[in-house]
Amino acid sequence: MELKEIKCESCGHVNPPGTQLCQSCGKMINSDYDKKKIKDVMRYDGSAVRSKVRQKSIFDKIWIFFTSVKIGISIILLIAIAAAIGTIFPQEYFIPIGADPAEYYSDTYGTLGYLYYTLGFHNLYSSWWFVLLNGMLALSIIAASIDRGVPLFKSLHKQRVKKHESFYRRQRLHKQTDHTADTEKIVEGLSDKRYKVRKDGDNYFLEKGKLSRYGPYINHVGLIILLFGSMLRFFPGMYVDEIVYVNEGEQEALPATDGEYYVENNNFTLDTYNEDAKEVFDESLNQRNMVVSNFQTDITVYENSSADIVGAEPELEEVDQHSIQVNHPYRFGSYELYQSSYDNTQLKSLTFRLEDSDGNTLGENFTVNLDNPEESYQINEDIEINMRAYAPDFLEIDENGSLVSETPVPNDPAFVFETNDGEDSELSLLQVMNSTDITENNDYNIRFVESEEHIASVLTLKKDLTVPFIASGFIIFLIGLFTGSYVNHRRIWISAEDGFTLGAHTNKNYFGMKKELNQVLDSIGSEPVSDRLDDEHNGKEKE
Amino acid sequence: MESQLVTLSSSLLFAAFIIYLVAMVPLATSIKSKSKKPGQISIVMVIIGFILSLSYFILRWIAQGHAPVSNMYEFITMFAIMMIAGFLITYFYFKTQLFGLFALPVAMLLMAYGSMFSREVEPLIPALQSNWLAIHVITVTLSYGILSMSAVAGLIYLLKSVPSDEKSWRARFLESIMALIIIVIAYIGTTILMQSIIGYQDDFYYTDKQGQTQIAEYHLPSLVNYEDAIPVENVGDNNYEEADHFHSGINLPPIINSQSLNTVIWAVLAGLVLYGIIRLAIRKRITALIKPWTDRADLNLMDEIGYRSVIIGFPLFALGGIFFAAIWAQIAWSRFWGWDPKETWAFITFMFYTIFLHLRLNRGYEGEKSAWLAIIGFLLILFNLIAINLLVSGLHSYA
Repeated sequence: MELKEIKCESCGHVNPPGTQLCQSCGKMINSDYDKKKIKDVMRYDGSAVRSKVRQKSIFDKIWIFFTSVKIGISIILLIAIAAAIGTIFPQEYFIPIGADPAEYYSDTYGTLGYLYYTLGFHNLYSSWWFVLLNGMLALSIIAASIDRGVPLFKSLHKQRVKKHESFYRRQRLHKQTDHTADTEKIVEGLSDKRYKVRKDGDNYFLEKGKLSRYGPYINHVGLIILLFGSMLRFFPGMYVDEIVYVNEGEQEALPATDGEYYVENNNFTLDTYNEDAKEVFDESLNQRNMVVSNFQTDITVYENSSADIVGAEPELEEVDQHSIQVNHPYRFGSYELYQSSYDNTQLKSLTFRLEDSDGNTLGENFTVNLDNPEESYQINEDIEINMRAYAPDFLEIDENGSLVSETPVPNDPAFVFETNDGEDSELSLLQVMNSTDITENNDYNIRFVESEEHIASVLTLKKDLTVPFIASGFIIFLIGLFTGSYVNHRRIWISAEDGFTLGAHTNKNYFGMKKELNQVLDSIGSEPVSDRLDDEHNGKEKE
Repeated sequence: MESQLVTLSSSLLFAAFIIYLVAMVPLATSIKSKSKKPGQISIVMVIIGFILSLSYFILRWIAQGHAPVSNMYEFITMFAIMMIAGFLITYFYFKTQLFGLFALPVAMLLMAYGSMFSREVEPLIPALQSNWLAIHVITVTLSYGILSMSAVAGLIYLLKSVPSDEKSWRARFLESIMALIIIVIAYIGTTILMQSIIGYQDDFYYTDKQGQTQIAEYHLPSLVNYEDAIPVENVGDNNYEEADHFHSGINLPPIINSQSLNTVIWAVLAGLVLYGIIRLAIRKRITALIKPWTDRADLNLMDEIGYRSVIIGFPLFALGGIFFAAIWAQIAWSRFWGWDPKETWAFITFMFYTIFLHLRLNRGYEGEKSAWLAIIGFLLILFNLIAINLLVSGLHSYA
C-alpha cells in the first residue's frame, strides 16, 4: 500500500494516509474500510492508526506486534492463567517456616507437588517469566495507547461543525425531515441538557462528555506508573521487610536501620473474648475454646545517638511510647512496625524440687533462669545445690564429661547438679525429661516441677517507598476507568441547510442517548429518531 | 435485648425471601399479560422485600456491633441483597420485568445457599477489627451484584438465541448451566432435609493438615473421609467416645477437605438424579422448558444491559476489590499485595473483565460471545467467593 496523503473529494481537506473518514467533513474516503472489518468506523473517529498504515520496516512489525489488541489480550490471558496456576499449591512463603521446599512439596503433594516445585511454580509471582509477561503487558499498553490515542486526540481536538451529507446517514441514530422550523428549539432543548453547541451557518454541532474518550488513555497511564512503581522495589533502599523478635522486657536493635533505632517490648498482651463480651456472642463462644480479641505490644522506641560512631556503645534516647495492635501499626519516619504474631515456645526458666530417697520434698523449690543461670541454690539450712554444668540445647557428653550444646537457644536444656548436704556431695545429670545419677547410690532426687516460657512479640518492620508510586498509579487508573465508563461522549450533528438532518453518535449507551434525544424531540412534538440497529433487527425479523 | 435483635433481623430476612418467592407469581404473569398491573405489583413486592433485607442488615449490624459482612453467611447474604439492588437499578433504568424473572431466582438461590453456613453472630478476630471491613466488603458485594446482572442478561440472551434442541456445544453448555443450578438446589434441599429435619449427624475424629486433631460433623453419610478418621460420638461436654458410623471406606490425605468433598459428592449425585427425573418427566432439555419465557426478550436490550452492567460494575470492583482491599491489606498485614489465593483470584477476575471489555470494544465481541463471557465472569466470581474459601486455606478463610 502506498502511503499517500488523501485529499477529500468533497471538501478538499488533506488527510494523513490511512484515514477512514475525512477529518474535516466526515465523508468516507477510504473505500477498503469494509474489507478490514472494522465494525465501527467512528471508534477512532475514522482517523489513521499507525499500526494499520505502516507495516513495512522491522520497527513497524514490532510496533504492530505490541499495538495489536489480540496480542495484548493474549498477554493478559497468560498472566491470568499463570496467576491461577500459582494458587494450585501454596507458594513457598506460605509453607511452614523452616521446611525444606524441595522435600515439602513432594512429601505433601506427591508427584504433582514435585513437578510444581521443579517447574518453579512455588515462586511463580517472582519468576523471571512472570515478571517478563508483566513487562510485555506494559509495552503493549504504551504502544497501543500511543498508536490510537494520538490520532484520536487530534481528531477530537479539531472537529468541524459542517459534515458531508453521507456522514449523518451513517450514524446509528439519525433523523431526516423536510421542514426546518424547529431546529432552534431542538438545539435549545439539547443545550439545556448541557450539550456544548457550536454553529456554522445552518449547521450545528453539539457535544458533551468528551473526557470519556480519554478515559482509557488516562487509565493506561495509571497502569504504566503502577507497573513502573512495582519494579522500583528491586532498587536498594526502597524496600525493607524484616521480622523483629522481641522478648517481653527486652530491647532489640531494629534491623536495616544501622543500629539507629531500638525497640523495647514493655508488655505483650493477648486478650480473648470472655464473659465480658457482648451477650449475643455467648452461643458462638461456647462452642469454641478461645477466640482472640486483641494482640498488642506496648513498645518504647529509642534512638541511638551514637549510631554513626563505629564500635561505640549505644546511647539510647527514648523517642516514643506506643501500643501496636493488629490494624494499628506504629509509624516513625519512613518505617512502620506491625504486630505480626507472637511466640511463647521459648523456655525462660525451669523450676525443680529436691526429694529424698523416701520421696519427701525438701525445702524450697528452686528456679533456674535459662538465659543467665545462677551458680548455686540454697534448698534449706543444710542443703545447697550447685550447678556444675549447663547446656541450653543438649547434644552429648564429651570425653571430659562436660556437656555439649548444639545451639545457644534453650530448646532442650540439660544440667549437671551437685547436691551438697554438708557431709556428702553427689552429682546428677538432669534433662527436663529424665535424670540420670552420675554418682552411685544417690540419696537425693531432683525433680522437674514446671517451666516458664518467654513471651516474645513478633513484629514486622516495614519500609516501602514504592507505595506512593503504586498508589498514585492506581488512583490515576481508577480515575481513568471511572471517566471512561461512567461518562458518555455524546455528539449530535444537525444540518438545517436543506430540510432537517440529524445524526447522533455516542461511544456507548445508545439506549440512554436515544432516551435523552427523544425527550427533547417529544417536548416540541417532533417524531423520535430512528435507530439503525433496530431497523436492521426488524429487517431480520421480517425475513 | 441484642439477642432478640438478631432473631428479629433473621426473621426479616426470611420474610424478604418469602416475598421474593411470592413476587415470582405476578412477575411471571406480567410477561404474558397485557395489563401493567401484575408487573407493578411484583416490583412493589420486590421493593418491600429489599427494604426488609436492608433492615436485616442494619439490625444485625446494631446487634453485633460490626457490619454483618464478616463470615460466609453474612457475605453471601450481602451479595444476594446487592443482586436485588442490581436488579432494581436495572429495572428502573431499562424498565424490563422479564429481567426480574431470571434475576430474582438467582438471588434467592444465593440467599438459600448462604443460609447453609453457620448463621451465628460471631465476635471479630483482631485482623477484621477495622472500618475497612465494611468499606471493602460493601463495595465488593455491590460490584458483584451489578456484575451478576450482566450474567443474567447473558443467560436470557442465550436462552432466547440458542435453539434448545440444537446438537451443538453451545446448547450443551447452556444445558449444563441448568444442571448446575439443579445441583445447587439439590445441595440446599438435601442439607435442609438431613441436617435440620432428620438431624443426621456422624462425628469423625481426625488429624488435619496442621497436625491438630479435629472433629468433623458429617450431616450426610460418609462417602469419603480423612485418613485414619475414627467414628466417634459426642457424649456431652466436648467428650467423645468411639462409635459405629456408616463409612464407604474411602480415605483421603488431610490436604483435601474430605468433609466438604463429601457434601459436594452428595450434592452432585442428588442433583444429577433430580436432573434425570426432570428430563424424564418433561422429555426435553430444561432450556427448552424455560425458553418460552424469553420469547419476548429484546436481544439488543439484553446485550446492552449485559455491557452496561460490566461497565458500571467493573470500576466498582477495581475500587473495592483491589484498591480498598490493598489499603486494608497494607494496614493489617503490612503489605498491600501478597498473592494470597483470594487476592490472586480477585486479580484473575479483574483481568478477566479487562479481557471482556477489550474483546468487546476492539474485536466486536457483542451479542452471543459477550453473553458467554458475562456468564464465565459470574462463575469466576462464585469460584472466588465459594471454592477459594472452602478449598484453599489462606488469609481469607474466615468461614
